[in-house]
Amino acid sequence: MPVISRVGLQNKVTVGLAEMAVSNNQDVLLIASSLGSCLGLAAYDPQVHVSGLLHAMLPDSAISPAKAALYPAMFVDTGLTALLGAMQRMGAAAERSLLFVAGGAQVLDSSGSFNLGTRNHEALAQLLQQLGLRACAQEIGGLLNRSLFLNVAKGEVRVKVSGQDLDIILCKNWTII
Amino acid sequence: MQELDDYINKVKYLPPAPRILPELLLLIRQPDIDNSKIVGVLRYDPALTANILQLCNSAYLGAATPAADLSEAVTRVGFNEIYTIVAALSGSRVLSMAQKGYGLDPGDLWRHSVATAVVAQLIAKKQGDDENLAFTAALLHDVGKIVLSESLEHIYAKLVEENERRQQPLIETEKKLLGVQHAEIGGRLLARWKFPASLVAAVWFHHTPKAAEPHHRLAAYIYLANMIAYFMGYGFGHQAFALQGRAEALDILQLDSEQLPHFMIQTFEQLQTVEALFRVVA
Repeated sequence: MPVISRVGLQNKVTVGLAEMAVSNNQDVLLIASSLGSCLGLAAYDPQVHVSGLLHAMLPDSAISPAKAALYPAMFVDTGLTALLGAMQRMGAAAERSLLFVAGGAQVLDSSGSFNLGTRNHEALAQLLQQLGLRACAQEIGGLLNRSLFLNVAKGEVRVKVSGQDLDIILCKNWTII
Repeated sequence: MQELDDYINKVKYLPPAPRILPELLLLIRQPDIDNSKIVGVLRYDPALTANILQLCNSAYLGAATPAADLSEAVTRVGFNEIYTIVAALSGSRVLSMAQKGYGLDPGDLWRHSVATAVVAQLIAKKQGDDENLAFTAALLHDVGKIVLSESLEHIYAKLVEENERRQQPLIETEKKLLGVQHAEIGGRLLARWKFPASLVAAVWFHHTPKAAEPHHRLAAYIYLANMIAYFMGYGFGHQAFALQGRAEALDILQLDSEQLPHFMIQTFEQLQTVEALFRVVA
């Protein structure tokens, strides 16, 4: 289950591996920490102030429908469905939502045996396209281990990179940078 | 060999040798293990004994009534579990500090090592190989980074620049900048600490498992577990994913890349164990 803690006036929700969280709280800070090759998808519907974050580990639930039933957020496909569905139940609309993607880091691999990171973000890209949706900004692939922060109070989406001091701001005051 | 020794001898700070672990590892792999022999080895480290008792009696193992002494603890908990605890305690003494030369914060290397160890253990178990050996080898696979970190810290800007310019495996960057790399240095250090030859070779070649022959299976366990740890977010530091994908690791164990997600799912379901081990700090 996502871990919730209070930091000052803010509710901090840490969305762990194979988890997701949605919120209509305007003070919330949603975090997907240390994504590795996993995919972090942050979403926000500005009209109803509903936010969501998915931390998916594998691209395709077809490899284990049984596990997908137990842990829908483990897979990009079932995770995306679950996230958008949960946000919709709070009054959000996917077409109105701002989407941000991070993660999918990739080792140096020409053999294709270890290209999980790539498969994860390609799976998401394909699904989004099928739904007629688009990510506003993304920080994916490459050799970096990233963490994704959706700060609803500040309207900010931030990516932190392990071993690096400077963060990457994707969005400030809900304006894409 | 000599240049590795020279390098190690020149380093100002060397991690403390985990004295009990090599001996315990040998003991535990014998067919007729004696409770008293295990206790006999452990007893030589009073701090470790205290830690073991504390852990055995803690929430980690859900003990209802506390074990009064080591012998009782070992009986209650079983050899494999005791071994894991001791390995984790020994490992945490060595691996918990920050390694600035790699951009690793306190605990980063430790978390990575524990995650790798748990994954290696479960893959080895599935393949019918020695799980304690796999756990230990994987736990210590990056010990060489501790040796090199100091030097890299002094040239960190150069490391970053080289990494970003070349997009090459970290091992190659290390070799280029320092003349040695963390896998061979780690292997050499573990040899000096009297770990078994199989473990030494496996760590030495954990990035090129075929070269560890005849210990290539163990090396392959480390290789794949390391990869999975990175996939799952337990890999840290600058350009954390700068390593070479090697299908030979799969071939050695006659595995398919399609099986990697299943190991990941298994690891995920044991995440509580992993998290509990993270908190094992001596």
